[in-house]
Amino acid sequence: MERPVRNLVIVGGGTAGWLAACRIGARRRLDAADPISVTLIEAPDIPTIGVGEGTWPTMRKTLEQIGIDEADFLLACDASLKQGSRFDGWVTGEPSDRYLHPFAPPAPVAPDDLIAAWLEQPDLPFARAVSPQQHICDLGLAPKQKGMPSYAGALNYGYHLDAGKLAALLARHATTRLGVRHIRDQVTRITATDNGDIATVETRSHGAIAGDLFIDCTGHASLLLGGHFGINFVDRSPVLFNDRALAVQVPVDQQASAIASQTISTAHAAGWIWDIGLPTRRGVGCVYASSHLSDEQAAETLAAYVAATSPHVDASALGFRALSFRSGHRERFWHRNCLAIGLSAGFLEPLEASAIVLIELSLDALLAGFPADRALMDIHAGRFNQLFRYRWDRIIDFLKLHYVLSQRPQPYWQDHRAEASIPQGLRDLLQIWQYQAPSDRDFAAAGEIFPAASYQYILYGMGHSPSANSPFQGGDLAEARKALEMVRQKARVLASGLPSNRAYLASLQPARQPLQERTG
Amino acid sequence: MSNHVALSATTHRNLRVRTESAGNLGDAVMACITFPAEFRSVQNHFPILFQLAANRESFSILALFGFENGENLFLQGGKWDARYKPLALAVQPFLIGLPREPGGEKQVHIDLASPRISAHDGTRLFDTDGLPTPLLESMSQKLGDLDAGYQGTALYLAALQKYDLLEPLTLDITLNDGAKNRLVGFHGINEEALQALDGAALADLHAGGHLFPTFMALASLSNIGALVERKNRLHGYG
Repeated sequence: MERPVRNLVIVGGGTAGWLAACRIGARRRLDAADPISVTLIEAPDIPTIGVGEGTWPTMRKTLEQIGIDEADFLLACDASLKQGSRFDGWVTGEPSDRYLHPFAPPAPVAPDDLIAAWLEQPDLPFARAVSPQQHICDLGLAPKQKGMPSYAGALNYGYHLDAGKLAALLARHATTRLGVRHIRDQVTRITATDNGDIATVETRSHGAIAGDLFIDCTGHASLLLGGHFGINFVDRSPVLFNDRALAVQVPVDQQASAIASQTISTAHAAGWIWDIGLPTRRGVGCVYASSHLSDEQAAETLAAYVAATSPHVDASALGFRALSFRSGHRERFWHRNCLAIGLSAGFLEPLEASAIVLIELSLDALLAGFPADRALMDIHAGRFNQLFRYRWDRIIDFLKLHYVLSQRPQPYWQDHRAEASIPQGLRDLLQIWQYQAPSDRDFAAAGEIFPAASYQYILYGMGHSPSANSPFQGGDLAEARKALEMVRQKARVLASGLPSNRAYLASLQPARQPLQERTG
Repeated sequence: MSNHVALSATTHRNLRVRTESAGNLGDAVMACITFPAEFRSVQNHFPILFQLAANRESFSILALFGFENGENLFLQGGKWDARYKPLALAVQPFLIGLPREPGGEKQVHIDLASPRISAHDGTRLFDTDGLPTPLLESMSQKLGDLDAGYQGTALYLAALQKYDLLEPLTLDITLNDGAKNRLVGFHGINEEALQALDGAALADLHAGGHLFPTFMALASLSNIGALVERKNRLHGYG
């Protein structure tokens, strides 16, 4: 080995920084001759951005790998269980216009047969017909029962959480259990080696911190990758042109109010509103395009939504927080000995909660292809960049899909449907899907981020109707009908056994936990 | 102690029932009633014994789970450690209630004093529209089977007594630590008497459907050894 990579320096301490510290800290071999050291430098008083409050089911595995108990996590982060995303008003804006993209995949039959069997029950929404999860979400039930083990459920789920509290929990775990060194200081300067790598980051009162690999988790600032190395930002706003958000925290009755089983995304004239239910509050935010909606109009839209959904809350007394952003990502994410993870790598509007999952996937990729030596670094960086460029493209395609199938008449929605704004790959797929259902053949890369099932949920949730003109005969329709009947039965069984989200979360409270019975 | 009421979709719309097996939910029993129609499932795990009532006139049929009162060796770590749970135990906290009017259908009753009744944990009996859930459907089915099974029991016992096929059984059970348990008051199938039956008697028993259950009850006694092993394991003598 020429120059082993042993000293990892993470710059920035939000969700990305602390997830990186925990995943690497939990994975490293402490009995090695020269174990990996992990240092995290966090500037005091930099607030976390606080929009990444929805996760994917991947977070269960991530937390388990880190070694945190699920109940501890749920209680510490005011978290709730998320079973998917619901889209209200995205097709026509009518009151009955809504569909669900659940985390549970459709019944396992060939896609075209599934669609054919579903079309025999024209009144049933697609998600309701092919997965028991919609029924459970409609009833506001949890995906698991008291007594089910950590990170296991009757249905697939992720989380809604307080991102600030998650970072605090991870920081505690990293520093007290995983041996991560935590430096609270401001980075003042970055120094380079002769070959152009980063040598050190200099801090105000802790001197220069040297490292072999630097992980840039500095958020939008992208201090190392963007600031120091000047890696270009690829602007994707021609495709996804929302660029502002107004966020508000709405108080709830912490004893009795129902907690939604899914993120609710409600379309408005020039964007959409997220609504994320935690046990302690609802996080609500209005995403919009400044080219189509003024800040005042956005504030009115948000206030009207809060008033309609929480009539007992005085919306005018709540403070709105304004965020502005540009959808896009860096041209490369890993350059020389610097890897950007989190917002420093890029940002997209929070539709479908891609922010935290990209952090997790980046860490999975780093640990699976870790540059044990500097000589390997550029090879791994090249592979990482190729994989994640592909993933960003796929996420952008998938987010765009939500807009292009809309029939809403407002100029904003028309602009979203303008052909020039739709990536070529997505346009091709939409043509193919006139004749056949999205299948795994359409998404054949290893580690696809959204499977064909997700496209099916959006496509058929939004009323896309496949052509009946296929020149081929179908497969086993009887099998598909049987599968849908099993979905219906499973939905009934689950609906009778699962508790409400509020009841499940209350059962985790230590004081209210009954003594575990012993028998025999 | 108990509070039996007829189940109703309006009154009990939001009632939940805990269906897991646990000692404090009523499963800490050394035996429960069984009946010939379920012998096929019962004989696979449990000894089937006949117990003479205190008046020494009638028998009841039991599936045995342990050797002393309150001991159920099939409860392991909060789970039912067998592929079958006899119906009489499995239907708790439901009961068969008398018809509302003479000649009508029997009713599903529930014991509201049972520790299985809960407002938050467990499984609903009715969905939000008031329709029975799969749990209640399956419980109704089981109660029906149980009711039919009980009704077949008297004929079966009469047939066994007619051919004198029951004999007192004294089971001396010695654990690995030398402790002895003696089970008294039980009867089992008299194997010699069964073997000595002539063709007409066998045909008579068979015609009444009593022959199969009799052989199953006989075979079930081999489960006593397995039950002793369970007890030894539980006490760490294995």
